[in-house]
Amino acid sequence: MRECKINYFLGNNLNECMSETILKSANSWIETKKKVVLATVIKTWGSSPCPIGSKMIVNEKGDFLGSVSGGCVEASIINECLELIKNKNSFKKIHFTVEDESAWSVGLACGGELTVYIEQIN
Amino acid sequence: MKTKILKEIIKRNSLKEDFAVLTNLSTGNSEIFNSKKSLGNEFKNYENKIKNFYNLKKNGIIDGTQIFILNYIKPVEVIIVGAVHIAQYLIDLLKNFNFIVTIIDPRKYFTTQQRFQKVKIINEWPNNALEKIKTNKNFALITLTHDPKIDDPALSYALKNKFFYIGALGSKKTHENRCKRLKEAGFAEKEIRSIHGPIGIKFGGKSTPEIALSIVAQLVSETNKILLNSKN
Repeated sequence: MRECKINYFLGNNLNECMSETILKSANSWIETKKKVVLATVIKTWGSSPCPIGSKMIVNEKGDFLGSVSGGCVEASIINECLELIKNKNSFKKIHFTVEDESAWSVGLACGGELTVYIEQIN
Repeated sequence: MKTKILKEIIKRNSLKEDFAVLTNLSTGNSEIFNSKKSLGNEFKNYENKIKNFYNLKKNGIIDGTQIFILNYIKPVEVIIVGAVHIAQYLIDLLKNFNFIVTIIDPRKYFTTQQRFQKVKIINEWPNNALEKIKTNKNFALITLTHDPKIDDPALSYALKNKFFYIGALGSKKTHENRCKRLKEAGFAEKEIRSIHGPIGIKFGGKSTPEIALSIVAQLVSETNKILLNSKN
């Protein structure tokens, strides 16, 4: 892993994405009996675009809301979430770096790194 | 995460409270934390470290643990005086930023439900309205009527109660006159200068949505300053 400064993100009041909209949508998907996985940015290094706490939700149909990287790794997150549902696992940590081939393929072009934690809500 | 925890986060968010969500990344269990609550078994051993992150409103994996903490902070409150056309655009823009917005205007024909949906409106004179709200220094004031008898009492109130952001709509001339009145009312030069007037950052637009955007840009910039300062 590259030597790169870890970012600690201080609570971000202005990030609407972090709180209400996404969580309320997760709740309404659950109420319509959909399986929902919540993805949260838990660690970032360097110039990763979305701060710690940024969220995205994915349901078993592959519908998603929110963002964890501004578009770079979302496709990969959706696949991981669908796998999690399929394999009936409850959580997983996924790390993306620029050296990581999968990250290249999904294009983490910013030079940052991030860890995303995905968990089923049930 | 348990559905129960998700519902609890949504509930506490709507109550606009400070709290944090702790997640044990090795077991997948989560728990809601605030200063009044004692910690469950999985988190008890790290109480001091958790409290340290919580008090600093720091988000992330706590050093030397597998615990992830995410803080939910009571949003900044914005009072808009004047239910005018710009206010309608302001509300649209502000809803993207997790502010709590209240509109005050004593003029009934402006504060109709049809013009303003899903926002708290107080149809009273600013003095009466502001007394009903428990304000503190995490409040912002935007005055839009440029009518001294409506704007001035709100500006005086905000200055006295040390709002972190005060902005007043009006031309340079209007603002000069406003400053004179506030001086006569006994406010110090420094206090008066803390009012952003004419309100908004300059980018050359004159249309209603452009003015609203310039106000929001200024408010967000000032809000980020206090959020950073309060945590350093």
